[in-house]
Amino acid sequence: MRATRGISQAELGHALGVSRQTINSIEAGRYLPSLPLALAMGRFFGAAVEEIFHADA
Amino acid sequence: MRTPSAAELTVPAVAVAGGVVYLVAGLIGGQTWVGGLVVMVAFAAVLWLVRRRSETVKGLLDRRDERINTIDLKATAFAGGAVLAALIVAFAISIARGGSGAPYDWLLGLGGLAYIVAVVVLRLRG
Repeated sequence: MRATRGISQAELGHALGVSRQTINSIEAGRYLPSLPLALAMGRFFGAAVEEIFHADA
Repeated sequence: MRTPSAAELTVPAVAVAGGVVYLVAGLIGGQTWVGGLVVMVAFAAVLWLVRRRSETVKGLLDRRDERINTIDLKATAFAGGAVLAALIVAFAISIARGGSGAPYDWLLGLGGLAYIVAVVVLRLRG
């Protein structure tokens, strides 16, 4: 979802207040974000949390 | 240049303060060795410089990234466990040598008490 919008991991991390490493770990499935962070990601992409994480499964 | 936040300055400041404590304690004990202060100031300086190149160090200092905060928490728990294990071994060796087990006994007791207090407090906070 991030890649299709042409946003880098660093840019997304900066927008959400987390590091590029954290975004990378979330995308690689190595880290489960907290509920507030997941909701912030949903607001950023204008999508439901289930859509964001389902799309990458 | 962005002004460093109070959170970013905390660990380096505590490190330097620790070095000052080492120096003062040494002076009180009649020692003028400044190596402890030098080491802690160098540690603080390295942290401050490396934070620009390392997201992990930056995250450990500014406490803003939840994942790095979790890593810090787990690493702290692991370090605490390692110290407790070493104390248990040291206590056992002291007892085996006919000693009283001091000061390892009260240090282990302090560790156990701290754990119980932490569980109670965290349980009450939900």
